[in-house]
Amino acid sequence: MTRDTKIANDTPPPAAMLSNKHLLGIQGMPIPEINALLERAHFFADRPKALFADVLANITVLNMFFENSTRTRVSFELAAKRLGASVLNISVNSSSVKKGETLIDTATTLNAMRPDILVARHHASGAPLLLSQHVDAAVINAGDGRHEHPTQALLDALTIKRSLGKIAGLKIAICGDIDNSRVARSNLYLLSALGADVRFVSPATLVSPYFSEMGVPVYTDMEQGISGCDIIMMLRLQTERMEGRETPSQHEYFHFFGLDTRKLQKAAPNAFIMHPGPMNRGVEIDSKIADDNSKSLIRTQVELGVATRMACLEAIAGASTRVRI
Amino acid sequence: MSKTLLKNGRIISPSDKLDMVGHILFENSVISSVEKDLPPEDKIDQVIDCSGCLIMPGAIDMRVQSADPGAEHLESLSELLAAAGNAGISQIVSLPATTPVIDSAVMIDSLRLRASSTHGALLHLYGAMTQSLNNQQMAELGMMAKAGAIGFANGVVSVQDSLLMRRIMIYSKMLDKPVIHHCSDAYLDKDTDMNESETATRLGLLGSPAIAETIMLERDLNLASITGCRYHAAHISTASSVEALRRAKKAGLSVTADTSPAYFLLNDKATADYNTAFKLNPPLRSEEDRLAIIDAIKDGTIDSITSDHHPIEMDKKMLPFGQATAGASGIETLLPLAFSLYHTNDIPLTRIVTALSTAPASILSLETPKLASGETANISIINLSSSSVIRGTNFLSQSQITPFEHYLVDSRVVGCFVHGISVML
Repeated sequence: MTRDTKIANDTPPPAAMLSNKHLLGIQGMPIPEINALLERAHFFADRPKALFADVLANITVLNMFFENSTRTRVSFELAAKRLGASVLNISVNSSSVKKGETLIDTATTLNAMRPDILVARHHASGAPLLLSQHVDAAVINAGDGRHEHPTQALLDALTIKRSLGKIAGLKIAICGDIDNSRVARSNLYLLSALGADVRFVSPATLVSPYFSEMGVPVYTDMEQGISGCDIIMMLRLQTERMEGRETPSQHEYFHFFGLDTRKLQKAAPNAFIMHPGPMNRGVEIDSKIADDNSKSLIRTQVELGVATRMACLEAIAGASTRVRI
Repeated sequence: MSKTLLKNGRIISPSDKLDMVGHILFENSVISSVEKDLPPEDKIDQVIDCSGCLIMPGAIDMRVQSADPGAEHLESLSELLAAAGNAGISQIVSLPATTPVIDSAVMIDSLRLRASSTHGALLHLYGAMTQSLNNQQMAELGMMAKAGAIGFANGVVSVQDSLLMRRIMIYSKMLDKPVIHHCSDAYLDKDTDMNESETATRLGLLGSPAIAETIMLERDLNLASITGCRYHAAHISTASSVEALRRAKKAGLSVTADTSPAYFLLNDKATADYNTAFKLNPPLRSEEDRLAIIDAIKDGTIDSITSDHHPIEMDKKMLPFGQATAGASGIETLLPLAFSLYHTNDIPLTRIVTALSTAPASILSLETPKLASGETANISIINLSSSSVIRGTNFLSQSQITPFEHYLVDSRVVGCFVHGISVML
């Protein structure tokens, strides 16, 4: 049996059912649940956006972003609104966190107001788990430090599946600042669980040797690393999580690890380029490639982010309702 | 076609497992035969009688500081390469502590281009480990490697930040280039003038303890162990460092080391009259250290012997000891001083030849020096029984300060060929 699910457009797939109350990471998530989320997201993506406006009526979603974000926050907000939920955005910069409140105190305070779902992004790895232990609401991890970004991996998987028709058997290179990337980790877990051949391409200073020990092929030569790959996923240099001296300079980084037309020739002939954004043009990717819509899936990723998060919110709302009863 | 015959020499070439009296014939830049029997001498353009002389693969000096760019008046690049060739050295590797610092591909390119049209020794270059040797930010090691840097060094600036050093090692390993490091703990070494010793105490000079070198070396060996980097400890001077190296090599680490004549021929008592020619970095050490260095050369714990050539302006030496700059000329005395180990310490010639040619070539992944048919004619010839007294004023280079002034040596360089061309003047 193939590990790829069939994407059926005829009969609507049911809302995904998750065994866990929270969505904190891809690691350990059962494959059928991943597939159920992808099928449901695929279904949402192709339907008029007004069709599901009462799915999450009476559900309150709190967006708590302890780290700056535009696309993920807006994506979650739109997803929740399209499902009819009430959405509140807490801007951490002007909240009590700035006044010195601890994460747990903030969580307890908000919990008292009985939200249903907390969508949390935090610069510290593990913060959403800590939150989940102190609130009644279900927690969705919208990116925690270097740990995981599960909804990004799901939307990436959906993007790949819709563009190439499958995930199993694809050669996928995740390139760049691996050590500091939660996207790399979540995608590694998810795409390999679905049968893709995932490899990392990175300067040796930005990829822990333990990834090799985990069995991930690691390449420090980009042309070798992306050779024959169907998907080239570029990552941003996470300067906010870098100490600043991992590589000599942006100039050298782009020379050896930036995706340009010359290096791209080594990939499979119809390879697609992905990037979780925001892009640093001229640092990890040449504008010419990023803007070439015949090769770049970058805009599709953003577009499918909303449908993916709709599927996640719906599933988590179901799970949290069940738990409460 | 030009044919040269080197006749009746003792030919020692470690990588060919060769030690015999014989004859080498080369045509243009390529060796055509290495034989015990004398080939017919007709049709040969030049015959050099090497009776009583050692014929070895061209010597390689893997630690030279060029004054050019920055202080060309002291010694220009072409003067350095000419002086090296004239001193029997066929290839040198220059350190990056020039002005500006060799920390970019452009600098590597320009120096290589300049050297390519110069008569004398061949030039190889280390790229700087950190930008402007600032010890803060890794230099563009990848771009320099692509431009031809054969390894990375930081002059006599020791990288104190262990995280930065770890990253440099990981990055160098990725590029498959060795890291050549001067080991010194900046705090223990701060403002010091010479080795910490009774002499220093009597002279009232601030002493640097031997462990200032060893502490940094031990750190580096630990980092080399977790990064797998090819690590080379430069100009090792102490017994405790030798012990550390011995342990690391026994543990199978990819670690090598060099030392320089000052550390196996002189000790810190030489500084007793404040003569600044003896002010070196690392400083001259104790007699126990000196003897340990000789043992380490003998058993191969120290792989190679380097000149540690470092031209210093006279103005910077004609100062009170504490204010004088450390360093001295070394390239023109390297071979005679290295071979004194054969005369006075019974170190086999093969071991010395290894330390001066095959060891540095292997450390730096240069072409293996060989004396065999078809190989490049890079050859040094040394008369092992020709006494002379070292005088700085006899140096070809303008950099004439040497701690070996008036020192008696028993060997003399009599020939040097680079790609088959004589570079003796």
